[in-house]
Amino acid sequence: MLGMYPTFYVPYIGSAWVMGIIGVIHVVASHTSVGASFLFAALETKAYRDDEPQIMVFIKRYGVFLLVFSYIIGSITGPGIWYAITVASPRGVSGLIHNFVWVWAAEWVFFTVEVIGVYALVYLIGKVDKLTHLKLTWSFALASWATMLLIVGILSFMMWPGSENWYQTGSTNDAFYNINFFAHLGVRTGSMFVMAAVVGFLVAAGIKDPDLKRSVVRIIAPIGLLGGFFSVMMFFYYLRTLPDNATVLLNSYLVPQYGKAMIFVFLATTAYLLFVWWKPQWLKLGIAVPMFLVISVLGVWPEERMRETMRKPYVAGQYIYSNQVLARDVPGKGIEGEVDKIAEKGLLQLHPFIPEQLRTITPENKLQVGEVLAKVACANCHALEPGAPLRNIPDKFHGATDEDLIAAFIGGPLKHGAIPYMPRIDLPQPEVDAIAAYIASVNQNRPKAAGDEEAGTPTALLEKKDN
Amino acid sequence: MDIGTVMNTMRDPAGIPAPVELFRILMIATWVFHIAFVVLALGAASLAIYAFWRREQSPYWTGISIAMTKVAKVSVSLLIVLGVAPLLFTQVIYDPQWYASNVLSARWAIAFIFTLIVAYCLWFAFYYGNKEVAKRHIGFYAVIALLLFLLDGLIMHVLSYQAILPGQWMGWYAPNGELDMSGAHLHAMQWPRYLFIISLSAPAVGFYLIAYDDYLKRRRDQNPDYLAFARRLGQRIAQYGLIVSLALFVWWQFDNPASTGLVWLPGGWAVAAALAVLLFEVTYFRDRLHGYLFLAGGMVMLLLLAIWREVIRVAYLAPFGYSVVDEKVNADWPSLALFFLTVAGIGGLVGGFYLTLLYRAGRVEGVYQADRTMSAMGTGAIVILGIWTGVFFLYGIAIWASNALTY
Ligand code: HEM
Repeated sequence: MLGMYPTFYVPYIGSAWVMGIIGVIHVVASHTSVGASFLFAALETKAYRDDEPQIMVFIKRYGVFLLVFSYIIGSITGPGIWYAITVASPRGVSGLIHNFVWVWAAEWVFFTVEVIGVYALVYLIGKVDKLTHLKLTWSFALASWATMLLIVGILSFMMWPGSENWYQTGSTNDAFYNINFFAHLGVRTGSMFVMAAVVGFLVAAGIKDPDLKRSVVRIIAPIGLLGGFFSVMMFFYYLRTLPDNATVLLNSYLVPQYGKAMIFVFLATTAYLLFVWWKPQWLKLGIAVPMFLVISVLGVWPEERMRETMRKPYVAGQYIYSNQVLARDVPGKGIEGEVDKIAEKGLLQLHPFIPEQLRTITPENKLQVGEVLAKVACANCHALEPGAPLRNIPDKFHGATDEDLIAAFIGGPLKHGAIPYMPRIDLPQPEVDAIAAYIASVNQNRPKAAGDEEAGTPTALLEKKDN
Repeated sequence: MDIGTVMNTMRDPAGIPAPVELFRILMIATWVFHIAFVVLALGAASLAIYAFWRREQSPYWTGISIAMTKVAKVSVSLLIVLGVAPLLFTQVIYDPQWYASNVLSARWAIAFIFTLIVAYCLWFAFYYGNKEVAKRHIGFYAVIALLLFLLDGLIMHVLSYQAILPGQWMGWYAPNGELDMSGAHLHAMQWPRYLFIISLSAPAVGFYLIAYDDYLKRRRDQNPDYLAFARRLGQRIAQYGLIVSLALFVWWQFDNPASTGLVWLPGGWAVAAALAVLLFEVTYFRDRLHGYLFLAGGMVMLLLLAIWREVIRVAYLAPFGYSVVDEKVNADWPSLALFFLTVAGIGGLVGGFYLTLLYRAGRVEGVYQADRTMSAMGTGAIVILGIWTGVFFLYGIAIWASNALTY
């Protein structure tokens, strides 16, 4: 038996997009809050040194805005991502928790301190002496950044440990300080300043006093620009730290799909920051709000989807496949791979959550079994409805209705793990046939739309750039 | 398949990185803080709403409403962060149960997040409108927010409760053999348990009001009559609330299946006894005891409850042959040291700095001037964070480099 869980299936967008959506909201909110904490520290230092108390008015406004925008939304979507991964990928999240529980717990300490800190920071402006408040703000900034330091190690381990060591030692050190940790940290640290600047402009746009507006904008804008520049440099370095499966996906799918949007966002953001730096008084809500939306949605969605996609076929550490199967042995933890066991006995026998009457395939239940198997083995990355946005399988087979052809793909490239970004799914022949029968029947029954492509060969899976 | 064997196989094959009892203690202890702020938030929110509708009758009600709105606002923030820790530790030792329960009600687990965001935003809308003069309709925001908070509590309860009913998982997942992967249902709830925990909101806000009086008494800009009003109100709410809680608790005691034998164990009755003691104190010593003592008493009661919940979980799971005691341990000392050093250094010094500053600043009128201790704490906070970050990088670079070389 395998330690698999029941499956949560979301039609059309898959649980992957549910996670993506929550993830984007969270990334925007959390990066803004960490970046903003440093802006506060920089601004308040200036207010303190040059005796410009009006800057504190801005900090207070931004702080109150952040409380709602970042802390409520950020602190709820944080556990939110967790819940979303939990239901989408229980063994993935479990693997992470069991490797990193103490790191997460340490992050939690910072997080708690941060939440208390943000209330203190906002409500104690003018209620405690200035130097004490300045200390509060700097410590708050450092504590906020620490939450990022700690989570990035976990996130970058999800991509891969980068060396064989972790598999042998099982040590959290080796998992956490993985090959792409520092690069990833750099990307996020740089981009948090961009986010904070863009959100800061939202707040600054509402300032009436022209002098205050200028002095605030002229501090924020260059910090945002520098952050953005740093982030881009680190991104190129980050690309060098990726595993092969990620590079393949990047070149064949992701760059064609998202490349232009990313260049556009980069140029637009740079232009925006430069422009506002030059003409602070032109900063109005009518510009600041749309720019915020464009940058956060067009900038963060591709970034999150890319990171998510590049990790394929794994969810964590290149040892847990997206479809919840353990991909390999990890001697350091006493973990054994499951792919070969499944090849021998089949999912129907080994998966604990299969109803008894579906464990043996009969002509009557074949399609039903095929559907269950497709949901268990494929649906973590693919929708099963034709036309659905999440790499839907019926379209990936170009509408094919030929069971043998579909079975040849499953029993060929998929069985041998020949596609770098898909798990090796090696199933006994009857299970392969059941899945093939199911996919063929979906295509048989699909609503015929004008311009539907001719049924093609499954090698199209390798070529179509619609990931 | 035998679900007990299944659960044992579902355990994460990586094992756990420290002795199981350590995680168990942390899980229980951190949940106490979560639930403390849950009940305080719910109690404060309910009272804020009630007082809001009575504001015409006396300015004191306006004061209470505004104050409780703030208390609820901050408490929700805290209950969220404080929920993260038990969430983490539960998943370490009860991973099969927690994940299965979540997946089986997956849409609700996700809805929990979105409803919580909506509820909290509504609460903020209420908070910004709830001033000396306020529009009446904002009261509805607050009511909706409170109902959503209660729904979120119900979802939490269901997830906890389903987790200890493994015998029914397959039936929920595949009713009549038809698989249902939609996660669209809440499958099981135990009303007395849920209602009992929620009912603790009354004593929570009651004790808070008593402590509120004791905290603000020293400030000359506070009206003593108002504070006395708040204290009396708190005493009444706590008193009646405790009677209700006690009744619900007894109901819960007898609602657990007889086969578990739980009703014969002393742990549950210890919770009841703690409730009774608190009731006795708030009835007979209401003015003689300091408000902070009631709060402390409340925390002791919650700790007993937290332990009792664990006893219940063990009792429900034991017949399936599942016990966390035989969990595989793959110890990882460096990351354990990271956590405990962070708790001591960052939690203690930085957190301590913030809390002390908030506490002291709240007790003076005008600007609070830091004394030498406070000033040293502030500097210490920055220094300790600098050291922490420095060590994080130096240590990390060393490991990273040695791994990169072998790559
Ligand atoms: C308004 C929001 C919330 C309310 C009203 C609430 C209420 C509750 C209640 C009543 C319980 C006890 C359930 C039972 O024992 O039957 C509980 C348990 C728990 N809550 Fe919350 N909660 C809320 C938000 C959160 C959040 C945001 C998190 C996580 C970040 C969280 C994490 C937990 C955990 C881990 C448990 C224990 C689960 C277990 O032991 O099985 N809660 N909560």
